[in-house]
Formats: sequence, structure tokens, C-alpha cells
Amino acid sequence: MNPVVRWFHQLGSPPYFDRFAARWAPWAYLLGLLAMGVGLYGALFAVPADYQQGDSFRILYIHVPSAWMSMAVFALMAFYAAIALVWRIKLCEILAMACAPSGAAFTLVTLATGSIWGKPMWGTWWDWDPRLTTELIVLLVYVGLMGLYAAIDDRRNAARAAGFLAIVGVALLPVIRWSVVWWNSLHQGQTISLFGKSHMDPSMLWPLVWMIAGTKLWFVGSLLGRARADNLRRETGKDWVTKLAGGTP
Amino acid sequence: MSYRDYVIAAYAVFAIVMLWDYVVPRLQLRAALRAARLRVARVASRTAPTELER
Repeated sequence: MNPVVRWFHQLGSPPYFDRFAARWAPWAYLLGLLAMGVGLYGALFAVPADYQQGDSFRILYIHVPSAWMSMAVFALMAFYAAIALVWRIKLCEILAMACAPSGAAFTLVTLATGSIWGKPMWGTWWDWDPRLTTELIVLLVYVGLMGLYAAIDDRRNAARAAGFLAIVGVALLPVIRWSVVWWNSLHQGQTISLFGKSHMDPSMLWPLVWMIAGTKLWFVGSLLGRARADNLRRETGKDWVTKLAGGTP
Repeated sequence: MSYRDYVIAAYAVFAIVMLWDYVVPRLQLRAALRAARLRVARVASRTAPTELER
């Protein structure tokens, strides 16, 4: 068997995943912290103030990566949920549900930092603009999903119900992405493009790249940690968990 | 620095939420391991022979 395919199959085994997560979560956190450290230094001290927004534009170095993570985590959660629903892979249920708290955290940061930036720039903390409103709905879906997962006693049924909500909720992502194009809104249009030309000067762009990399690595650490805890809870009583807890199977 | 208070507030929110995102999985993991250890201890005490049985 192809080693990559074999590794992928092995990763579906709860004890193998536990060892994998225990090994790589601290590295993901550490690398994420280093990348965010470089990004934060650049954002706060290295890049010059914007000629129109002054120093308030420095908030966007945490707002934009958080907004991207908010949507990316939702898409990943729906992807895992779809695999879990079709192929009934338990680990994918665990990973899908472990995505939700981090996704909600990034969405909360997006809304809070956007609001703090909006007060001096727009003159208001909040506006029922399509981009802001859809992002708020995403936060509510994240919270609803976590509530649904916690409300059902049977873990597998709970994960299936919450996973279904995640798959339905993915329809929100294109609305968020294109809201600034479809409607004449207060929120600015696209500034940074992955494949096209960005409207941000390259001298101001590099801290953002570091922050985007850092938040992704941080999320990987958090995802592995949460999934490992849920995996252990579900597998309590199995030989490998007993051995890990210091008992004899 | 212009708008200093807004910048500090935004970065503080980011730092607090990221810290929460770091601490909570560690607490969950610790609780899961403690529950597993308690279960091991419970099972061991149930299977160990009592004074009368010996």
C-alpha cells in the first residue's frame, strides 16, 4: 500500500491519533506563536502608519486573519462532518466538533476587532451591513452547533446532528465572501487577493502573511488538543486508554 | 500612536481569546485523563479481593 494512504488509514485509529496529536499539537502551538510573534512585531512596530487611517489600520492585522480563519474553519468543519456522515468515520466526527470552539473564537475576534476598528473609522460600533450581519449569523451557527452537540447524550448521534447543521451552514460562506460585491455596503471590498493583484502595498503586506500562517498553525494545535480530549473521553474503558491512564488492560 | 486605545483594546481581545483557545483544550485533556485514571482505580478496587474473601 502507498505509505501516504496507509498513514491516512492509520490516522483513523483512535490510539494512533492520540499519539499523533500528543506529538504534534505542542509544535503547532509553538510554530504558531513564533509566526504570530513576527507578524505582531511587524504589525505594531515595523510598518508605517496608514496615510488615511493612521495607526488604527494596525487592527486589521488581527481582524483579517481571524475573518479568514472564521470561514476556513467552518469549511473544514463541514468537510469533516460530510465525511463523518457518509463514511461514519468516528475520528472525523470528533475533528468536526473540535473545529467549532476555535471557529467561534476566531469569529468573535473578527466581530470584536471589526467593531473596535469601526468606531473611529466609520463612527459606529455596529451596522447591520450584509458582511457584518452574515458574520454574526456564522457566530450564532457555531454556538448553536456546540449547543446541539452538548445537548444530545449519545455522542455519535450528537455529532451527526451537529454535523448536519455544519453542512447546511456552509451555504453562508459564499454569502459572506461576495456580500461586499452583491450589495452596496459599508464594509470595504476585497483588498487582498491570493491569486490576483492586492491593493495593499507590499511593504505593509508581510506582517499579514505571518499572521495568517500563525493563526492557522495555532488553530492546528487547538484542533489537535480538543480532538485528543474528546477522543479520550469517548474511548474511556478501552485498553489503550487504560494503559495511558496507568492501569493494566 | 494615533487611536492607541482602540489598537490596545483590539489586540487585548485577540490575546485573551487566543489564550482561552490554548488553555481550554489543555483543561479538557487533563479532565479526560483524570476521568480515565479514576475509572482505572474504580475497576481495580472492584476486582481486588476483600478481607473476608481472602
